[in-house]
Amino acid sequence: MQRIVQLIRKDLVVDWRQQNPFSGILLYLTSTIFASYMAFAGYVSLEVWNTLFWIIMLFTSVNAISKSFIQEERRSHYYFFLCKPHEIILGKLIYSFLYLLAVGCVALFLYSILLGNPLINYPLFLLNLILGCLGLSSAFTMVSAIAFRTSNRSIMMAVLGFPVIIPVLVLSINNSYKILDSFILMQIQGNLTALFSVDVIIIALTFVLFPFIWKS
Amino acid sequence: MDYLLKKDWWKWFCIALLTYTIVAGLLVPVPRLNILNETIRVLHFHVPMWFGMIFLFMASVIHAVKYLRSGNNNSDAFSSELASIGLYFGVFGILSGMLWARFAWGEFWSNDPKQNAAAISLLIYLAYFVLRGSLQDQQQRSRISAVYNIFAFSLMIPLLFILPRMTDSLHPGNGGNPALSIYDTNSTLKAVFYPAVIGWTLLGFWIASIASRISLTKQKLEDA
Repeated sequence: MQRIVQLIRKDLVVDWRQQNPFSGILLYLTSTIFASYMAFAGYVSLEVWNTLFWIIMLFTSVNAISKSFIQEERRSHYYFFLCKPHEIILGKLIYSFLYLLAVGCVALFLYSILLGNPLINYPLFLLNLILGCLGLSSAFTMVSAIAFRTSNRSIMMAVLGFPVIIPVLVLSINNSYKILDSFILMQIQGNLTALFSVDVIIIALTFVLFPFIWKS
Repeated sequence: MDYLLKKDWWKWFCIALLTYTIVAGLLVPVPRLNILNETIRVLHFHVPMWFGMIFLFMASVIHAVKYLRSGNNNSDAFSSELASIGLYFGVFGILSGMLWARFAWGEFWSNDPKQNAAAISLLIYLAYFVLRGSLQDQQQRSRISAVYNIFAFSLMIPLLFILPRMTDSLHPGNGGNPALSIYDTNSTLKAVFYPAVIGWTLLGFWIASIASRISLTKQKLEDA
């Protein structure tokens, strides 16, 4: 447990010291949102608002999470002797979830300033955002661990990740559209549970399969 | 396992079933349905491709698990060849399906959840082969691609249940569609359809077993 906390703290310190990855992601987010504002301003219906937001989240999360193992290139041997694979992956999962959640909140803020804010039911939308971010971050953490071993990483992230992420994406887009369409918790309970169970499946698979990647 | 055609009864069984499927599938009278008419015959060649694909992918995942447990090279060869034959089945399924859809529904692609799920499963296994291609070291390639195989397949299963809930399907079985469903298929169609499913699936396993022996032999020759 203590090691996990230390691993998370280490990731935080690394990100704090070399600030360009995080500020790079924020700039990426800002320019994507601004570009879509220029392209879509004037005819943003509820469907477009919702789908565009999640597509932006998708691309941002690929870029944000891809670094999580790739930055460990030189340190990986060091960890190999210090920690168990379970601790490493748990630390990574928690950190990338928090990271993506922070990015998601910034994204929501900027997005609603530029493209309008049709949100009524904040708590439910945020709950769905949290569940979506959990799925996105854990799936891409696993994919980044796989892509870490290959030669052309940035392409492999997208190629391996996108087909895998579709259940999470489809469910969260669908949920958040219903939330925007002023459905209440009772009506989308089933879908939220489905999204949560997909998240659990992803995390469980990551937990079981990661040691096999780490060993090689 | 005995690989000789003389001794492997299921290979003879497969040949018999497929001969029956092709002859009966093309000649036996079929029920007249609006729009579908004679195109219903493609049922015996299109739907078994999906059954075969799912069975082959499932077997591929089982062999991937076996590889991770034992580190045996044979399992890896089996796993990758089963996946590649499954991919061929999927491509034939999607092409025959698109052709059928063009005549029955009017479009090659009509945002049907089953069509989408099919396309996604093909994407997953194409990505699997790209992953295999981009890893140099043989042991690393086997292990990491086995991991991806298990990971992606297990996420494909919920997808097959989720997608149909999101949109209405044109396929029979879910959605309000007047075409036939597997459960209320005419009995003459059934008499051809079930043997066809078994026959095509066996054919897939047969091809995969030959292909994996070829790849194992190649490996041995390279090592020698």
